Amino acid sequence: MPRTRSSKLIAALGLTAALVAAGCGAPSVGNKNASDQTSGVTINVVLAAEPPPKALLAEFTEETGITVNWTNLDWDSLQTKISAAAAANTYFADATNVDWSRVGQLGKLGWFTPMETFLDTAAMKDDVPQLASFTSDGHVVGIPYDASFMVTTVNRAMFEKAGIGEMPRTMDDYTDDLRRIKQAGVVEYPLNIPFAAAEGLSTYWYETTAAFGGTVLDAEGNPQFKEPGSAGFQAAQWMIGALKEGLVPPGNINVTDSQGQQTLMATGQVASTFSDYSGTVGTIYDVEGSSKVAGDVEYLPTPGVTGPAANLSNPDAVGIPKQAKYPDAAAKFIDWFASAETQAAFSGLDGPEKIYEAYPLPSHVSAVDRMVNADKLAGGAELVTMLEGSQPVFEGGAPTWYPKFSNAVYTSLHAAATGSMSVEQAVGTIAEAAEDLAGAA
Amino acid sequence: MTAVLAPKATVQSSPSRFDVLPYLMVAPVTLFIAGLALLPAVFAVVQSFFIVDALDPPMRWAGLSNFTGLFGDAAVRSSMANTGLYVLIGVTLSTLLGTAAAVLLQRPFRGRSLVIAVMILPWALPGVVEGILWQGIFEPNSGLISAVLQLFGADGGLLLGQNRLLTIGLIELVQVWQITPLSALLILAALQLIPDELYEAAQLDGCSPWAAFRRITLPLARPGIAVAMVQAVIATLNVFDQPYVLNGAASTGASVTMQTYFVSFQNLDFGAGYALTLLITLATLAISMAVVRLVYRKVEM
Repeated sequence: MPRTRSSKLIAALGLTAALVAAGCGAPSVGNKNASDQTSGVTINVVLAAEPPPKALLAEFTEETGITVNWTNLDWDSLQTKISAAAAANTYFADATNVDWSRVGQLGKLGWFTPMETFLDTAAMKDDVPQLASFTSDGHVVGIPYDASFMVTTVNRAMFEKAGIGEMPRTMDDYTDDLRRIKQAGVVEYPLNIPFAAAEGLSTYWYETTAAFGGTVLDAEGNPQFKEPGSAGFQAAQWMIGALKEGLVPPGNINVTDSQGQQTLMATGQVASTFSDYSGTVGTIYDVEGSSKVAGDVEYLPTPGVTGPAANLSNPDAVGIPKQAKYPDAAAKFIDWFASAETQAAFSGLDGPEKIYEAYPLPSHVSAVDRMVNADKLAGGAELVTMLEGSQPVFEGGAPTWYPKFSNAVYTSLHAAATGSMSVEQAVGTIAEAAEDLAGAA
Repeated sequence: MTAVLAPKATVQSSPSRFDVLPYLMVAPVTLFIAGLALLPAVFAVVQSFFIVDALDPPMRWAGLSNFTGLFGDAAVRSSMANTGLYVLIGVTLSTLLGTAAAVLLQRPFRGRSLVIAVMILPWALPGVVEGILWQGIFEPNSGLISAVLQLFGADGGLLLGQNRLLTIGLIELVQVWQITPLSALLILAALQLIPDELYEAAQLDGCSPWAAFRRITLPLARPGIAVAMVQAVIATLNVFDQPYVLNGAASTGASVTMQTYFVSFQNLDFGAGYALTLLITLATLAISMAVVRLVYRKVEM
């Protein structure tokens, strides 16, 4: 019996030691089994998006011999899978999503192969202004394939009904106009702010902070919103104040940015969304049948302190994980998928069979220009100006600790909206989190 | 002389002889469970005592710091309190409603199978789908509850997230809707084993239906009730989908498994994530054992 017990003990200790050793081993960098084949292979592309039109993918396969197996996963699940696969050093996809908010993390972790090793990213800079949002320590982590950025949308018909002829250019005018709309009884709650504790609330605050003439973090990641006179503090005060004043629907404390916020706008329950997503007028608000405000909504140059403010980038990119099986074939796909020509085709410039319904806006300025010239883009002239002037959310790129910081932002602002925190407490909590995280980093 | 040889005695297999067949037959499932459940569990336990942070390599010994760090995190503490409320409300309501449903379904009636099939539907739905479904009902600007309240002159709907207790209560109602069918079926299975003679004898003795329920049904259904309560404990302690879909990451409703997700996959601090997972497992074991000890009784009929 003692022999059996000791054998079991030794086996258990051995197993534990093996597990610890396995866990302690540094993960290898890159995939030694990766193939440089760029023809006759099937690559797995996993994005939080519907696949592009079959006709276009078939064209790509015919040209290159690369077959694309497209998987559409929701954004949260996709981020979890990217992290789990990279942490476990296992294959997950040949090309997948790179979110702007995770660029700092991904840059430090080295989970993606720098895109400049495959493509001439320097040559893209002028035509793809949002490439900067995907650059970390001089390396391009992913190539933006759309040009999502924050914009202000307004229901012009409601503004006019309230007797507002000239559209607002400053925050003061914008706020006064919203009050006029409410007082005139055009709509009970004119302003849309998604106060649910989710990423969209953080993004809204960053855009509002830019409108008040400031940034949230400096290039070193230090908080710039602690003082009551700072732009970030004023932005938080303006957002919470609008809710308390009755400009924002009370139910918005649980409304998210995408479906919730856009539904309110499309059903005419609000007159304006200060921080909306580019492309929504054409893809949502002007869609007859599903929208009650078709033809009424337009983009407004985002009001600032003294005039229009900069618009913050919020684009989606695609990159190549280190464990990709066919990195070169994936690079060829990205080169095609994110090219100005393909993006123009997505937007309907090469015929209806190539229209990519879910596609918001090309990341190439030249493709947007082509759309505007062909009259294929609702509010195109305004969007081009905004795209050209769009800026990254953070001067120094998203810090490695961004997800934790964003969590502090949206939970605190949500708490202020529900009344369980004051604006001062919320901003203080966010600043404390930023200082702790920047200090630890 | 002919020698007559006695027939050789048949050799019977000795009880001590090692028979490999049963082991071979259970080997696949053993390997399956060991590989997919036990090994990862051991791995998680071991790594909960290490710093496993993708942003802060290499992996190194942490002692109890992952655990102490979790208790120092206000968001984790708040989620623990929220989860306690989820368990309390969820286990109580699902057991009460499950028992009531089981008693109603105890006697055969026309269409009973259909009622059971319909009743079990919420249990078959994924939590995320239920969250989305109830999001439409709770939606404060134009949801069903809001519309009904406005019909009666109320100003607005129920605001999830405005008040912590209300938020947790409403979210847990959605989970109760999901887990009660299984509780009802488990208790119903126990009730089906109670002989009718007991009720008949009780009736002859002048026992009222309520007294029969208290003195016959409840005591004899205890094994089923205990199992139902344990499954409710496991479900409510691990609630994720409903609060995440209905209330986002807000502290008014965040559960401890949501924090595990944030710690592990948002902050990439896997060591702390493992530690939190271990704490949840221990809590599940402790509460389940307490339930079994308090509620379960061996019944012989």
